Amino acid sequence: MSETVLIVDDEDSVRRTFHDWLAGLPNVRVFAAADAEAALLIANEHPIDLAVLDWNLGTGSDGLQLLEDLGDFQPDIVAILVTGFANQATPLDALRMGVRDYLDKNHDLTRETFLTAVRRQLDRIIPAKRQRELNRQLNEFRDAVQKVLPLVRGSAVLNDPVPLPAAVHSLFRFLLRTTGAADGALVVCHAPPGGPEVMAAYGTDGRSLPVAEVPFSRSLAASVVSVQEPCVMYGPDAAGGTVDLLPFEAGRKAILAVPLPVASGTHVVLELFDKPEFTADDKRLVAAAADIGAELLRQALAERQTHRLLFDAIEAALRASESITETLSTPTPNQPPPAAVMERLKAGLTADPNAVADADTALRLIEAVRELAVRYGPPAVEHCVRLVESVRKLLDQTGG
Amino acid sequence: MKDPPTVFDEIFAKLTPDRLLHDPRATGEGVAVAVLDSGVERAVLEERAKQRGQPVLPIEGALFRPTSPAPLPYDGHQSSPHGTTVADIILTVAPRVKLYSADVFGPQGTCEVETVVAALRHAIDVWNVKVVNLSLGVPEHKLQQAPRRLLLQRAIEEAYFRDVLVFAAAHNEHPLTRSYPAAFAPPLISVDKALFDDPLRFAYVLKDQVEFQAHSRGYLGPFAREPATSWATPHLAGIAARILSLKPDLKPFEIKTILYWMFRAEDRPKSA
Repeated sequence: MSETVLIVDDEDSVRRTFHDWLAGLPNVRVFAAADAEAALLIANEHPIDLAVLDWNLGTGSDGLQLLEDLGDFQPDIVAILVTGFANQATPLDALRMGVRDYLDKNHDLTRETFLTAVRRQLDRIIPAKRQRELNRQLNEFRDAVQKVLPLVRGSAVLNDPVPLPAAVHSLFRFLLRTTGAADGALVVCHAPPGGPEVMAAYGTDGRSLPVAEVPFSRSLAASVVSVQEPCVMYGPDAAGGTVDLLPFEAGRKAILAVPLPVASGTHVVLELFDKPEFTADDKRLVAAAADIGAELLRQALAERQTHRLLFDAIEAALRASESITETLSTPTPNQPPPAAVMERLKAGLTADPNAVADADTALRLIEAVRELAVRYGPPAVEHCVRLVESVRKLLDQTGG
Repeated sequence: MKDPPTVFDEIFAKLTPDRLLHDPRATGEGVAVAVLDSGVERAVLEERAKQRGQPVLPIEGALFRPTSPAPLPYDGHQSSPHGTTVADIILTVAPRVKLYSADVFGPQGTCEVETVVAALRHAIDVWNVKVVNLSLGVPEHKLQQAPRRLLLQRAIEEAYFRDVLVFAAAHNEHPLTRSYPAAFAPPLISVDKALFDDPLRFAYVLKDQVEFQAHSRGYLGPFAREPATSWATPHLAGIAARILSLKPDLKPFEIKTILYWMFRAEDRPKSA
């Protein structure tokens, strides 16, 4: 990654001198222009990182005006203003527009001071530029993923060979017919290690059943999972306070339940209801059906799991990119203006014979408004100006 | 002509279940029992004991998880009802035991051999229990790794040599499915299921490395009435606790012998 420096000066000798001085810097592309128009043409073709601008461009335009125009092409552009009249610059606007240093043609402008000033700015630009580049790439990545996600979801629906409700429905149709049970339900509890457990239930038609706030540890399903074989409970009193029944289990005269070994961390229990007496044959039948059902569900859940994992991965990537973007977009700690700039401003303000406030007071105000500008942009400065004006009007009225 | 009775006839005549188990002092008093299971619901057990008019000693315990090197505090709740059913059987048979709950299952409903071993060691070293109830097991096909099987076996043998009596449930499909640690029969008491008219009755029926049978219906919990080795094991553990409250220093092999002799005493033809 190279940095681009644009020199704008109406004096040919100055342009050439600056160009020659900069030619020795590694990874720096240098452009030079004699006036604002030529500079803007270059900026239109190449993103400019640092502009070295003459304050007085000779044709009635000034470097500050040009900097504002260059900002339309490259909002993050920063500049070094070369001038013999530093105190003529509007300090607040200059800072807001990106002027980060001043070089005085009449005093301290040497190859060394010039290159030091340029290097200092480039050292500041490089990390910010990298950050912007990363941001841009992340945005591109996020846009691409956001476009892909609906397609992946769509294809997942098309590829689902055994939809879960259909699998549950088929299983129950077989079991109700063969055992003579009146009804049934499938209870699924997903308890990932360290995560919150999620319980769901499906009726014989494969549709979801309401699940009350029963912790798995106090559910009938947990009891069956512990026993690991088909069990029958006759009447709710048999639980004896050790379990809380789910809404569709309450009031049943008999419940035959069997665990289905589907997946680690996922408990699935098949329950059949209300046959006057479940026999040993019924138990053997549901045990066999549990094996087949488990395989069926395992396939259905595995498909979902695969898709889920894919969705999770994509969504996690999206979240991560957003979080990185947020971190990168967070304004960097508000750096005070370079000391040289502040000194120059202070000198200019002190030299002003018409100043009604001392330089420190004026600088305090400037710094407050500058901070506002950095954090919230030009509209905040406009608002601040309006406030000052309204205060002035108020004081004018009060004072007569 | 009938042979004169030997000393063994005299011992068998004295070691009857009636004399041992119905002694008023045979309540489990002074015997600490650990239930390595899915935790117990303390309030439910205390309420049942109150209803029976036999208040239990405060139930203590800990949670053992593979993710935590040290046991976690017991909050009085079960991870699933299984452990509560098991503990209730022990307290029904031997109401004065001091019960410790080691919840080794947690919300996952399964546990690793290493977790069981950690809980067993804690029960021996920290709780100083005399009896350990294991209504759990690992089917043989799931414990093919020799080092893990050895780890479990060593822990069981360590309990034996430290005079701790381990009761382990056979698989519910025993002998079709062999289950560990029940199959490590010599240093522990392995229990299969059977139904008896009296829950204090049991039998010695050696069948493919499992030696005893005990009553296999519980009293509390949704599936307690379903015969299971999980319910048979605490019946025999409770019976052993009753015997130990008469003589607390009995060694595991002595208890096993006494149980065997009790069964023989009951089983042998009554003399005219």
